[in-house]
Amino acid sequence: MRATLRWAHSDLRTHRGEALFLVLATAGIVASLLLATALFGYATNPWQRVFTQAHGAHVTLHTTASADAGELAGLDGVDSVAGPYPTASVTLASQGGRASVELRGTSGRPDVGRPLITSGHWLDPATPRGVVLESRLARVLLTAPGDTLTVPGTARRLTVVGVADSAEPRYRPGERTGLVWALPSAVTDPDGQVVGLRLTDPGDTGYAVQRAVTELGAGAIGEVATWQQARAEAQGDNRLLGQVLGLFGLGALVAAGFAVHGAIATRIRGHLRDISVLKAIGFTPGQVVRVFLIQHLVYALFGAVAAAALTGTLGSAVPGRLGDAVDVWQDLPGHTVALFVVPVGAVLFIGATTGLAAWRAGRVPPVPVPRPAAPPAGGLTGVARRALGAKVPPALVLGWHKAFTRRPRSLGAVARLALPLLLIVVALSAWTTIDRFHGSPERMGMPTALGVRADTSLGDREARALLERAPEVAAAYPGVEVAALVPGQTATIALRGLGTAREPYPFTLAEGRAARGPDEAVAGQGLLDLLHVRVGDWVRMTVGDQPQILHIVGRSIEPENAGRVISTSLDTLRANDPGLRPSIYQVRLDPGADPAEVAARLDAAGRGHLDVHTVANPADGLSPLRAVVLGMIAVLALIGLIELLTAIGGTVREGERDLLALKAIGLSPRQITAVTVTATAGTALAAVLLATALGLPLAHWLIDAQGSTSGIGAGIAQGPSPALLLLLGTAAVLGAAALAAVPAARAARRRLADTLSAVA
Amino acid sequence: MRLPLLALLARGPAHGYELKQDLEQLLGSAYPQPNVGQIYVTLGRLEKTGLIEGEDVAQSSRPNKKVYHLTDAGREALRAWYEETADEPRVRDEFFMKLALAPQTGLADQIALINTQRRQYLNTMRQLSKLAAAEDRDNRISHLLIEGAMLHLQADLDWLERCQEELEELE
Amino acid sequence: MRDSTTPVLRAEGLVKTHHGEGAPAHAVRGVDLRVTPGEFVAITGPSGAGKSTLLHLLGGLQRPDAGSIWLDGECTDGYNEARWAVERRRRIGIVFQFFNLVSDLSVADNVELPALLAGVSPKKARAAREELLAELGLEGKERSMPGELSGGEQQRVALARALVNHPPLLLADEPAGSLDSKGTREVMRLLARFHQRGQTILLVTHDARLASAADRVISFFDGRIADDAELDGGAPPRRTGISGVLELKD
Repeated sequence: MRATLRWAHSDLRTHRGEALFLVLATAGIVASLLLATALFGYATNPWQRVFTQAHGAHVTLHTTASADAGELAGLDGVDSVAGPYPTASVTLASQGGRASVELRGTSGRPDVGRPLITSGHWLDPATPRGVVLESRLARVLLTAPGDTLTVPGTARRLTVVGVADSAEPRYRPGERTGLVWALPSAVTDPDGQVVGLRLTDPGDTGYAVQRAVTELGAGAIGEVATWQQARAEAQGDNRLLGQVLGLFGLGALVAAGFAVHGAIATRIRGHLRDISVLKAIGFTPGQVVRVFLIQHLVYALFGAVAAAALTGTLGSAVPGRLGDAVDVWQDLPGHTVALFVVPVGAVLFIGATTGLAAWRAGRVPPVPVPRPAAPPAGGLTGVARRALGAKVPPALVLGWHKAFTRRPRSLGAVARLALPLLLIVVALSAWTTIDRFHGSPERMGMPTALGVRADTSLGDREARALLERAPEVAAAYPGVEVAALVPGQTATIALRGLGTAREPYPFTLAEGRAARGPDEAVAGQGLLDLLHVRVGDWVRMTVGDQPQILHIVGRSIEPENAGRVISTSLDTLRANDPGLRPSIYQVRLDPGADPAEVAARLDAAGRGHLDVHTVANPADGLSPLRAVVLGMIAVLALIGLIELLTAIGGTVREGERDLLALKAIGLSPRQITAVTVTATAGTALAAVLLATALGLPLAHWLIDAQGSTSGIGAGIAQGPSPALLLLLGTAAVLGAAALAAVPAARAARRRLADTLSAVA
Repeated sequence: MRLPLLALLARGPAHGYELKQDLEQLLGSAYPQPNVGQIYVTLGRLEKTGLIEGEDVAQSSRPNKKVYHLTDAGREALRAWYEETADEPRVRDEFFMKLALAPQTGLADQIALINTQRRQYLNTMRQLSKLAAAEDRDNRISHLLIEGAMLHLQADLDWLERCQEELEELE
Repeated sequence: MRDSTTPVLRAEGLVKTHHGEGAPAHAVRGVDLRVTPGEFVAITGPSGAGKSTLLHLLGGLQRPDAGSIWLDGECTDGYNEARWAVERRRRIGIVFQFFNLVSDLSVADNVELPALLAGVSPKKARAAREELLAELGLEGKERSMPGELSGGEQQRVALARALVNHPPLLLADEPAGSLDSKGTREVMRLLARFHQRGQTILLVTHDARLASAADRVISFFDGRIADDAELDGGAPPRRTGISGVLELKD
């Protein structure tokens, strides 16, 4: 045992760099996997907590004001009912801004879907104008209990008495109205009702909705929201972040495993003599295997434990979403288990790959062989010979030959180096895609930057003229959005009419063509999945109590509403309902215009009649992703470095053998160094090319897969710009060459006598 | 023995006993005790051929010593000796004849012959080693002589190996 | 308990054939061997005769195709590689022509390693190492790396390493093969010195000087033992004995 330790100790001293890199790489991998676990926990759990505590409603139905919603309590499968509560859509304004909200009248606290007060208190009959805001709405409006809200265009004033959490789908500016509870007296002009249903079987929402629709009649149903929708929306971005971290973490783990395997195998090859001597001295094969195994396990364990400790203690100090996630995660039940299982799993995986390589060390024969048998390499190819004849520098030709003739081994080195590079290419694609969301949103499904709601005082033509007059506005498309019942009547979807035949709306199409004729529409991926239809199918839906039949001719990229949107032109909708007025104007800006500036200008020009908001960018919630991508690139670069050092070490050691021969041919030490440097750079170049060739399609596939599962739709994937790829390639090749230069130069200048003893 | 004696006299005149002592000192214990009689006989022959000249020196209590010195002819002979190269040592043709003829006589087995000769060489080598160990470390000439003998022996042993290899192949 | 008549090493019917790229090479063909305690045996023969292979077989570094080996009377037929490794710690010391030392370890570590392997305490190992290095004239080189030493110094360290556990048997494969004559003399002197103290040595060499230092010389030809001779200083001197070699021509 002591002998083993002695040997391991001095082995460490000679391979300090590799050890350090391995520790750091393992730490990075374990940290990313732990953060992924935290994010997954954070994603699901808070909403789950609220839902359980609030006794949340599985189905929330918005109906017309006249519907007899009280009947729903007797339906099959309905456990309890909240409401019906009268609702009114109003716009509220505060110092922080404006918001469209749903004012819900309720006297006592509902039993189902009970709001959880986070500050202030519930409605009090003593304060007739008091309201309770949902927490996200309160955050956007920057209000707290005690503030006053106004209804623009009227003299009404409401006072905020409390802020509460709710399990219903949350406020999204421009997409979904916020939730405000008020006393029934404050809801002066109710335009609808809302009922919350709590089911005996939570999975049976479709059936429940169907029965409710049958009970009330299709014409009475407005929008239907289910608890699955609410959960998906709440999880949304965090889940994506967690998936990304998890995917990269696992990919990096596999790459690290390969790197360690390669490092040990190369080390063994270079130390065949030493291992033989050790066996001749009396080390058993088991002991030899154990030394390599334990050494690397210790490094990996060190890194893993360090990462777990750091994540556990400092994780919540990380700014932004990641820090919050770790904070919440620490209170979750699975926390200690994960903190233990993830590092152990990573260490075991690395141990397995190490074990495979170390097992080979145990099989080295104890007889010291003068020349470790080199696998037969090919002779100089005809091309190489001609190149030498054409006065190409011999160092380049020989370096190329050295890198690429030992088939299995050189392929292995290239493949192992290509793996982390491939993951880096995928990471860069992710980065570029996120960038495009911000840089060119029109390519990513957001052709318009602003959405404007005009109140009833402005007519359609006036509003349009007002908008198009504003500087930097390229076009304003009128539009309307209604909730439509799907066939089967199990859910509602958003049906939008945007643009007219004269001025068609510029949808971002991923498949098919634009909707030109009557009854033609384009749909988002989420809708296609929901209704199980494809581009080219006909769909029948119910708007109010009117059927609407549409021909889906194309698929658009729809970041809103998880892609469950079908869009057609205003004319098509007007065919069914001639009196339809546009409720929202989508404003397209000139290239280079700043949406916030133009929004402010429009606000001023509208003089209170216009409600302008910027279109939400799905990438906004993904800003931590950039930091994550950078971190993963760093970890992958470390793994690539380990691999590179291994390859360089192996090449240099094999080159020692040929040192004398090369000197005899007439190569100067500088040329001999150049041989090794060229070989390494060649390997790096091949790895970069392979990584790019495989990584770009893989990245596209992954990002598109993520897009279509999230409903936005495939087609959002953007590869990194050629400049970025070129930068990566140049950095890799030059870095490899630079790293190889020092040890190669040292080896080339070694005294002949030393080389003899090394090789003889 | 003749020319080494001439060389010794080139330093200056000396008599027979002095020459014997000089030889001993030069070559050390590696060189067997020079036979005084043989030296005097050689000196006589050298004088007869005119390479040296002797002079009687009277001694008080002993018989006359003869002191010899080098003549010009002797010096010339010495110079010629130094200029000519030495012959290579002979291969031990006696042993080789034995080996080559053994099959024909039917009296001895070739392999056995080689083995016996090898044992002889090895024993001699051992004695040389002992001699070298016993010899005064500073006497470089002596050590060189012993080493020369050892190297020759090594060559002979290598040659024996070659013979055995060739013969084993034939079998 | 070993009595003085049990051979330290006994081998019977050893056979080993190398299967390389060309025709199979019969390195060892039916060798019987016996080494008594305190003996110094030299094995000579032309290169390629299989001497080194024989030594490797006796040290457990290779498995014989047929035949058995007894170490101190114990049969080693059932030994696997790990068991042989244990034997090599305490009972057999091996010195090769090249590559005796682990290039990553210092001289001191190299010498102490077998002792530590055998379970000796670090303090005792260090004491044994210091004693041996002093004996071999290598004080002051404890911290050097093998690459910094000359060939002769490396072989001396290798000897120290092989002898640190005072093994009953020392196997040496061309220990002076890569040395000049001065180095060879050093090795010879050291071997003779240890032999005088009772060390049993089995030496493979093609250098006649080294071989002559042994009590017994075995000639190895083409995989077989051709001659097994005790060196006794030879027959009584003929003529003037060794002076016959040194005699000046008349």
